[in-house]
Amino acid sequence: MIKILIFPLLFLWVQTAKAQPETGSMLIKNGTLITITNGVQAQTDLLIENGKIVRIGKGITVPKGIETIDATGLYVMPGIIDAHSHIGLSAINEATSPVTSEVFTGDALDPLDVSIYRALAGGVTISHALHGSANAIGGQSETIKHRWGVIEPDALKMEVAPRTIKFALGENPTRVYGRGYGMVPNTRMGVEAVFRNAFAEAVAYKKNWAAYDAQIKDKKQRKTAVPPAYSLRLQTLVDIMDGKILVHCHSYRADEILMLLGVLRDYGVKKVVFQHVNEGFKVAPELAEFGAMASVFADWWAYKFEVYYSTAYNAAILIRNNVVTSINSDSGELIRHLYHEAAKTQKYGDLTDEEALSLITINPAKQLGIDQYVGSLEEGKDGDIAIFKNHPLSVYAIPRKTIVDGVVRFDIEKDPDDVRLYVDPEEKFDQPVMRVSEEKCMQGADLMEFLQAEK
Amino acid sequence: MRNLSLIRFVFVLILLSATEFSIAQTDQTKLQPVTRAFALTNATVVQAPDRTVTNTTVVVRNGLIVSVGKNIDIPLDAQIVRADSLYVYAGFIDGLSQAGVEKPGGNQRGTDTSRFSARSKYNPADPPNAVAGIQPDAEVRQFLNPDLKSVEELRKIGFTASHVVPYGKMLTGSGALVLMGGDSPDAMMLRDDMSLFSQFQGADRLYPATVLGMMAKWRDLYRQAEISKAYETKFSENPSGLERPVYDRVIAAFYPVIDGNKIVYFKTPSVLDAYRAFTLQSDLSFPLVLAGLKQGWDLIDKLKSTNTRVFLSLDLPEDAKTKKNEAAEADSTKTTKNEKEEAPTFMTETEKKALEARQDAFRKKYETQPQMLQEAGIAFGFSTLEADTKDIRKNLQRMVKSGLSEAAALTALTTAPAAIMGVSDMLGTVDAGKIANMVVTTKPYFEEDSSIKYVFVDGKMYEYEVTEKKTDKKETDTSGK
Repeated sequence: MIKILIFPLLFLWVQTAKAQPETGSMLIKNGTLITITNGVQAQTDLLIENGKIVRIGKGITVPKGIETIDATGLYVMPGIIDAHSHIGLSAINEATSPVTSEVFTGDALDPLDVSIYRALAGGVTISHALHGSANAIGGQSETIKHRWGVIEPDALKMEVAPRTIKFALGENPTRVYGRGYGMVPNTRMGVEAVFRNAFAEAVAYKKNWAAYDAQIKDKKQRKTAVPPAYSLRLQTLVDIMDGKILVHCHSYRADEILMLLGVLRDYGVKKVVFQHVNEGFKVAPELAEFGAMASVFADWWAYKFEVYYSTAYNAAILIRNNVVTSINSDSGELIRHLYHEAAKTQKYGDLTDEEALSLITINPAKQLGIDQYVGSLEEGKDGDIAIFKNHPLSVYAIPRKTIVDGVVRFDIEKDPDDVRLYVDPEEKFDQPVMRVSEEKCMQGADLMEFLQAEK
Repeated sequence: MRNLSLIRFVFVLILLSATEFSIAQTDQTKLQPVTRAFALTNATVVQAPDRTVTNTTVVVRNGLIVSVGKNIDIPLDAQIVRADSLYVYAGFIDGLSQAGVEKPGGNQRGTDTSRFSARSKYNPADPPNAVAGIQPDAEVRQFLNPDLKSVEELRKIGFTASHVVPYGKMLTGSGALVLMGGDSPDAMMLRDDMSLFSQFQGADRLYPATVLGMMAKWRDLYRQAEISKAYETKFSENPSGLERPVYDRVIAAFYPVIDGNKIVYFKTPSVLDAYRAFTLQSDLSFPLVLAGLKQGWDLIDKLKSTNTRVFLSLDLPEDAKTKKNEAAEADSTKTTKNEKEEAPTFMTETEKKALEARQDAFRKKYETQPQMLQEAGIAFGFSTLEADTKDIRKNLQRMVKSGLSEAAALTALTTAPAAIMGVSDMLGTVDAGKIANMVVTTKPYFEEDSSIKYVFVDGKMYEYEVTEKKTDKKETDTSGK
């Protein structure tokens, strides 16, 4: 009888408990705090409670039951943020249509991808799981927190992050559609046409639905109102025009960057971050005037024709022109040492420590629309922390601990050989594995990569 | 007068030849259908997972179980099956398979092997629905064939009914519960149009190719369907002065799902597949059954909180023994000892051991998955899809050996799937009034040396040869695979 009573109660409880990300509490004692927004504070404590930074100061007493991490002699900085990554995804490109605004990488999250752990080992707590660059208008993308250990894909999502979408210019879309399928876009002109056609359709779509909604409100017209065809693709484009989605655009050449600014102006889109943007140094004032932001590599180029005209001074030039700039990885390897990538801007461009570190903290946070939650050490922000031995911009920097929402997700002292969450019992591991390394951005677009992605 | 008798003569001739024809076509058991009455006498009858009776007789007539009991009257016309040392179970029910389903011809996966042919033929952004795998309007009854080998294979191991779905990609059409046998495709049918089947199977380099495109396509179709269904309802109430709604068979296939009258069966082998199906369900709120699940151990809370019904896969990873045998065999094929030594080593013995230990731990998870669900109080059945029929009995035995109780295993094979599919009044137990689907074995089904002697489907008896020393043979079979 008791059993019968307990069972439905238990059931109710489980149903009402919505999956909340795990949070933790801790006191990080006596570290050198690199706050990013409020200078460097030596021998200072930082208290995290329930996943949030609640106090920063000297001599904070340990609240009961809270773990203390002794950071004496260590550097404590906000968790590193990568504005352009493809880790933690089962699929990157829906490379079958030049416009796929309806697709969403949040549907393809793979919390079992060991790259997430490797990113944590490089102090990275947040990455932007971007759609690839095969399509002119690619998919909506999810900002993920590196909560390594969770199995439910939704548990990776940073729920408060705004929606974003991937656009792409230049050789990738023309290669996939023009050369690959013999269709538009075959040239850079074609890429512009794809954007303009798509937005023009979306304008008409918005108008049709507005007219229908007006008819439904009118007593007389309601009876004969016919709903227009629904399209998730066009609806998403409408949401972009309505300012609900941040555009992240894969780009290299200056002329194309100006082209897209023109398209966005015509359709009233105000928020854009250019990705890669290797020729950004040529149009830095124009970017600043538009309010466009830039997410670049430190010194990676010449991997295809449109990426030859590049410089390692790109980030510094953009910063000096007041463009909000970040340094990204676009790679499961680079993501492990973004702090080192940021340091390169001191060699090429003499950026200050604070400026260099802002490239991988507060600036990418701004680009993802999450700077009020993360990107610096401030009371009220998320407890996302990277603890380093030696200064993070030093070549001797070693990440010691990485903390997400107050939970230690990486600890160099507890770093097992095999961290995989799921293991294939049939996998043959005593044989050499052929690895095909290609630009991740194009995964799903090229044949070899396609086969790999399909597994 | 003479004419009339001639006509009668010809008519009788036709009738005779027709009966002969039908016997030759359908009777694969070499048994003449002299009678549709059978009596299994003196058997141990496992009427339900928790009800076993001994020295009991089961009488079957015209496809139904008519009586079960001791000292009951045996009809004069019944074929008597002496079952003194035999065990009688309810016929097993398969939650999802494609047994007895023809693969459609034409430009489908499997028939068209050229990767690039699709590329030149279709606009990748807008391929025809049949090529893209968007066929929720297809119906499995169009593809049924009781004479396919897959039917016999499944029947041979005790499955008498299966929920079958059409072949295809993302949305393959509506499924039906069918018998694993019958004189004609229609004769297999138990419950038509029972489900809408979907899986994360993309179109080859055509939209939707990846899980990204498939999730979006699902939402797009479903929301289109919701809008057009609402308009159609409005139109049917008073069509005067209203534009005619445009009929779209793909969209219309979702209407019964939106009404909650048709359940979406999602094939979700992996834990991520399952979570993605849950995402669609919570976005669109349709009735959902997960099928072919292999990695359910981390889903227990989710299954419970959403009260989701599930069919677990009968496929298991190879057991460690088989795997080692294979490795040994591969070693022995190397011609000289030298070659063996020259093979580069990629890891130390310790590393290898550690990796193997992790594989063993995960193999255990696959084997104990049904037990874990059962202990959590989640009702589940089994699906034979993706399982090699030759391995199914062995896999069931592995699950039982890993701790699943025989009663729980039997529940998952009989009463649970019947309940999930809403056919408990027809199938699932050996009781008077139920359809005569039964499995008769020489020993309890889950014992390793137990063999199936008879299978009854719809009151028709199929007899199987029982080979002695079966266990020895099996051993050599698996190692030589």
